[in-house]
Amino acid sequence: MKRSKFLYKAVSVLFLIVGLGIVAVPIWYMVSTAFKPQTMVFEMPPQLWPIPSTLKNFVKAVTTDHFLLYFWNSVKVAFSATILTVLVSSMLAYAFARLTFPFKENLFYILLLGMMVPPVMLIIPQFIISHNLNLYNNLWGLILVYITMNISMQTFLLRGVFENVPRDLEEAAMIDGASPFTIFSQIILPLSGPGLAVVVINSFLYSWEEFTWANVNIADSANRTLPIGIALFQSEHLTEWGQVFSASLIALVPVIIIFLLFQRYFVQGISTTGIKG
Amino acid sequence: MSQTTRSEKKRNQILPAIIFLIPGFTLLFVFFLGPLLYSFRISFYQWNFAHPDRSVFVGLANYITQLTNPIFHRAILNTFAYTLITVSLKMVLGFFVALVLNQKIPARSFFRVAYYLPVITSWVIVSLLFMYMFSGMGGLVNYFLKDVLHVISKNIMWLADPILALIPVILVDIWKGVGWATVIFLSGLQSIPMELLEAAEVDGASPWQRLIKIILPLMRGTIVFLIVVLLLGGLNSYVPFQLITHGNPMDQTHSILTLMYRATFTRMDFGNGAAISYLLTLFVFALSIIQLKLLNKPIGE
Amino acid sequence: MKKSYLFVLVSLMIVMSVVLGACAPAATPEPAAEAPAEAPVVATEVPATEVPAPVAIRYWHTMSDAEAAKLDEVIAAFEAANPGITVEATRYAYGDFKTAILTAIAGGDVPDTARMDIAWVSEFASQGALMQLDGAMPDFDTIAASVFPGPLSTNKWDGHYYGLPQNTNTQVLVYNKASFEAAGIAAAPTTMEEFATVACALTDTAKGTYGFAEGGTYFWAPAPIFYAMGGKVTDPEITTATGYVNSAESVAAFTMLKDLYDKGCLSPNLLGGGIATDAGQGTGIYGMIIDGPWMVDIYKGNYPDLKYDFALIPAGPNGTSSVVGGEDVVILGGSKNAEAAQKWVSYLMSVDTQKALAQVGVMPTIASLTGDASLPAYFGIFMEQLKTAQARVPSPKWSDMDNAINNAYQRILKGEQAPQAALDQAAAEIDALLVK
Repeated sequence: MKRSKFLYKAVSVLFLIVGLGIVAVPIWYMVSTAFKPQTMVFEMPPQLWPIPSTLKNFVKAVTTDHFLLYFWNSVKVAFSATILTVLVSSMLAYAFARLTFPFKENLFYILLLGMMVPPVMLIIPQFIISHNLNLYNNLWGLILVYITMNISMQTFLLRGVFENVPRDLEEAAMIDGASPFTIFSQIILPLSGPGLAVVVINSFLYSWEEFTWANVNIADSANRTLPIGIALFQSEHLTEWGQVFSASLIALVPVIIIFLLFQRYFVQGISTTGIKG
Repeated sequence: MSQTTRSEKKRNQILPAIIFLIPGFTLLFVFFLGPLLYSFRISFYQWNFAHPDRSVFVGLANYITQLTNPIFHRAILNTFAYTLITVSLKMVLGFFVALVLNQKIPARSFFRVAYYLPVITSWVIVSLLFMYMFSGMGGLVNYFLKDVLHVISKNIMWLADPILALIPVILVDIWKGVGWATVIFLSGLQSIPMELLEAAEVDGASPWQRLIKIILPLMRGTIVFLIVVLLLGGLNSYVPFQLITHGNPMDQTHSILTLMYRATFTRMDFGNGAAISYLLTLFVFALSIIQLKLLNKPIGE
Repeated sequence: MKKSYLFVLVSLMIVMSVVLGACAPAATPEPAAEAPAEAPVVATEVPATEVPAPVAIRYWHTMSDAEAAKLDEVIAAFEAANPGITVEATRYAYGDFKTAILTAIAGGDVPDTARMDIAWVSEFASQGALMQLDGAMPDFDTIAASVFPGPLSTNKWDGHYYGLPQNTNTQVLVYNKASFEAAGIAAAPTTMEEFATVACALTDTAKGTYGFAEGGTYFWAPAPIFYAMGGKVTDPEITTATGYVNSAESVAAFTMLKDLYDKGCLSPNLLGGGIATDAGQGTGIYGMIIDGPWMVDIYKGNYPDLKYDFALIPAGPNGTSSVVGGEDVVILGGSKNAEAAQKWVSYLMSVDTQKALAQVGVMPTIASLTGDASLPAYFGIFMEQLKTAQARVPSPKWSDMDNAINNAYQRILKGEQAPQAALDQAAAEIDALLVK
């Protein structure tokens, strides 16, 4: 018994390491390219590390244009959009998972429609609305659209999570006279850690890397976000690939941090049903 | 519960429901449904984007143009094949990686981050790298096949062939997407009570039996969610096609959305762009309804 | 269940039919209630105001870093000379510029002025998105007379001008001197026959080097050879492609390229997924490429040790030729500050501005600046080439025509069709576009 369990784990780790090799090749390319002086030259057979290597791409990327400003704008947009997406979609999900109201199914299908439509087809009417609501050239214009384009999927996800929360606790609370608001904030949310963590990770990533809408809704360079800043390293005839690669590596850092912080919520043991423990 | 209390409870829920729904649906109506209807209208016009008043109503002409266009047919075929392959592989691989990562193994956090890394890398860069790896002139893949494995004698021109060119497109999506499926599966695995698995183990159930009898049935919600989301994502795929093949060679490697982009933003033909979007949306909507009916219990029951 | 999603679809349809049925196209649905196109028409018809109120002109462009820095100086000088007008310049990435500007026009919030690819002007003008400059801009005739006719022609649509050529460029032969020396070739080829011979002489299959490389199959890449061989896309009136894109000269151009490709003298990278032309030439893989003046900066930055030189495109039966590139400056139809915008456009077209921007590699369009001592020396060969360079077809359907030729070229290279058959098909496709 013990032995087979050990073997099973050993095979698992081996499986992971093989997979890691496949995951690593493009990432290794990405990192080593950022350190190359002549970026778009790929040697065959591949070199393990570029010689000579240089930090100049990173230095140039960070000092060029308004890189730090773009970074800061992206932080503002991604944090606001993430917090609000979690709030709005968990409210919607609670209503769809637990409350009874007229047109429930119809509304749910309208919500689902949000996942099915290619976002680009909405971009021009969205621009008109953004312009009329004074959201053009404004970070709120990005935040509100990011929430809208993202809540369908996150609500869909959370509805499933909330439905898995055992009903007995709620019913006990309801008998004690608790309102739906109390149940939502005191029972459902605290018991949905892993699901909420996934929503945070998804929303942050989405609003951190969204490009198309940011490109049309922001014309003032003071309000641009990081993906736009990185795209600006590509001018018509000359793309600064070294800077694109190094800037993209820098852009990974916040997402990794968010992921590291929130992946803890799905460590086996704090299972949603482990209420008694 | 008696009949009266139940209906009373229902009535009591309407006001809270409105409050819970208002923020989300306000946003959806303003930034989603309004724009959606606007685009729907455009799809019936030969649309003049600078002077909408000069647009000409053409009825279903834009739809017919697309439905009779061989390039569009090819794009549908490409998109379906791509979706089928990437979704199934991402599901299977993501599930197994999640199962493995859910155990207590050494360096678990490291592995989790490592497998998630591809998800957050930039599409632009990764597509470019896959393009170079599949370069017809001594890219990494040709090097590996020719000089390491000796299975080919001549470099393969991957991107010059309408079928082979889809291989890097599919691989980049799988490479980038497995980590995301893993994360969703991992969070879904948390809803399986440990006690249940432990009890089964004590009863002598093999890992395989535990997987089939306990884990899979309990993960139904997660699996449904993933299939729906990944299918929708696959059918809406744009970036890897655009960045790796640009539709080349000979317009044989488009996805539905690269054609939509080209119609709208290269050819400035908003009417046809909107028609393509709506054809895709209608199909996807129908498909999702079927999926949800087959895979999920009806909501609100 | 079934009822509910049907309900969604049906209600969408009902709302739509109301919108469609009740509104003439002029009345856009609620979100677009402020019809975007109305204001500008009024603005341009307002007679000249007495005292210019302070206005801000928005100017969108896709300049590089160095160019944008120079532009800031130009703007400062303009603002000093025109109190009450400020210029807000916004830089976009080239690949995403068209999306941004299209959306802005469709959404009714446009920049006043923009610098756009010469191939786009007729497309935008045909939709009424740009302001007609002849007859509207006071010094239009003076400026138009001072610039090269080729670049100017790219602004013409339906008998009127919708922009001015802010800068121009063309492609010439760029060759690696070390490769030439190693192969014992003394000088750049001057005729197409020589070019084909040299391309193969520079090719060494064992070392993996190629005599010649093109960046892709889109029209811009083979265009210099196509034009130099006497190829044409359509007749001058843009009414037909038959007899032009499939003429004997056009076929000869693509036959020569196919021949080079088959012999391995033309790098296969042009079909996708190979070594880029600049990287290939910079590392000694490609002996010759055909490219523009920006190569000077690219090589200076990435391959400072590379020894290369420029030469005119080798002559075909009727001498050398090439393709005109560059950007035009336009005033958007929706501009609310048309008068100030015209001043800014005139300023951009002035000799001083053109000279200032030339310092960062932007080639001027003013004919009298040819040979000017203040211009960078490498401009000489490009200015020389511009004398014979041809503009691509100034038609709103150009991107489709480009696509038709691109696909024909790919079929030729892959051996799916003979050059004549492939170009016959392209001619039919382009003719179909011109009928519409």
